[in-house]
Amino acid sequence: MKAGYAGFLAAIAVAAPLAAHHSFTMFDMTKRITLMGTVTAFEWTNPHCYIEIDVPDEGGAVKHWSIELGSPSILQSSGWKFSSLKKGDKTTLVINPLKSGQNGGFLSQATLPDGRTVGNGPGREPKQ
Amino acid sequence: MRSKYLLFICSALASALQAQSPAKPDLTGVWGQYRGGRGADPKLAPPAAGPLVLKPQYAKPYEARRAAEAAANQRGEQLANGSVQCVPYGVPTMMSVAVYPVEIIQTPKQVTIISEAFSEVRRVYLDRPQNKIDDVPPGYYGRSVGRWEGDSLVVDTVGIKTSVAGYRGMPHSEQMRISERFKLVAPDVLHDQITIDDPVVLEKPVIYTLAYKRIPDYEMVEFVCDNNREYVDENGIVRMRVRDK
Repeated sequence: MKAGYAGFLAAIAVAAPLAAHHSFTMFDMTKRITLMGTVTAFEWTNPHCYIEIDVPDEGGAVKHWSIELGSPSILQSSGWKFSSLKKGDKTTLVINPLKSGQNGGFLSQATLPDGRTVGNGPGREPKQ
Repeated sequence: MRSKYLLFICSALASALQAQSPAKPDLTGVWGQYRGGRGADPKLAPPAAGPLVLKPQYAKPYEARRAAEAAANQRGEQLANGSVQCVPYGVPTMMSVAVYPVEIIQTPKQVTIISEAFSEVRRVYLDRPQNKIDDVPPGYYGRSVGRWEGDSLVVDTVGIKTSVAGYRGMPHSEQMRISERFKLVAPDVLHDQITIDDPVVLEKPVIYTLAYKRIPDYEMVEFVCDNNREYVDENGIVRMRVRDK
């Protein structure tokens, strides 16, 4: 900023502000990983829903993943219900992984037991 | 006897004036965020926001914070803010949280506004005088009073505590005053023009408009933030908790 400038112009002619719980910076949105496994919990909660899933690797060893989704309000407008997944369901998820390398990520799309493929809310429809 | 006659005349006059004044619109209902965009009717989309001009002593730390946020974002990290920890947004931010709708319940004496995100509630008391700012305990929602000016609902809010992030994360003092004009610009499109004045922090009032579209028959979804897995690490960076099983 120049010395003597009377004020700081933070925003000119921009749209009104938009608040959100958190950004998606912690996820690598350029990477997509497919997880095939068994649901251990589906949490229909705020501020986010979560899928807990056990994923066996090629050698049979099981790794556990925690996957974040939108909130119930956001998900219900794109075909999800609180009962869409249950413990023991087999499912295939496509996720954007955590940049930290931990077994976690943000859902891109899920194949539900009824065969439907659903995304992660409006604007995040399934890509396939 | 004479006073009774006068009372009758006054009452008749008031009724006549009431009959002549334009009907108040009914804002009761659920309203979704409407941000315009491609193909939107420019008459209905919110107009561009005015500039945010902070006094130099507040501009410097604000600018530094924004730069730190941008740098963190560049590194692939997010700096902590209140909402990451499920702290309510308060006024005015609760009026425009992501895609979450707001519900308005209009009665003759009070307008109640409920934001679906975090289930935040504002109460606007109609036709009551506003208290002095120093007499309102600082909080997330402050004290709001309103009145009808023709077809616009004009709302005045004071008493927002300084820890509640302001417009675009701007700092503010306890002297901040928020004025709003709610007006239907179409039968199902509502504008909320917001003017924030803060003689301590701002060089001049900042003005922006939020727009909403009515969502008929929508039932508001419960929002209790009881499963927040985001946390802030020792470096002030937002992380997600993963489970082992």
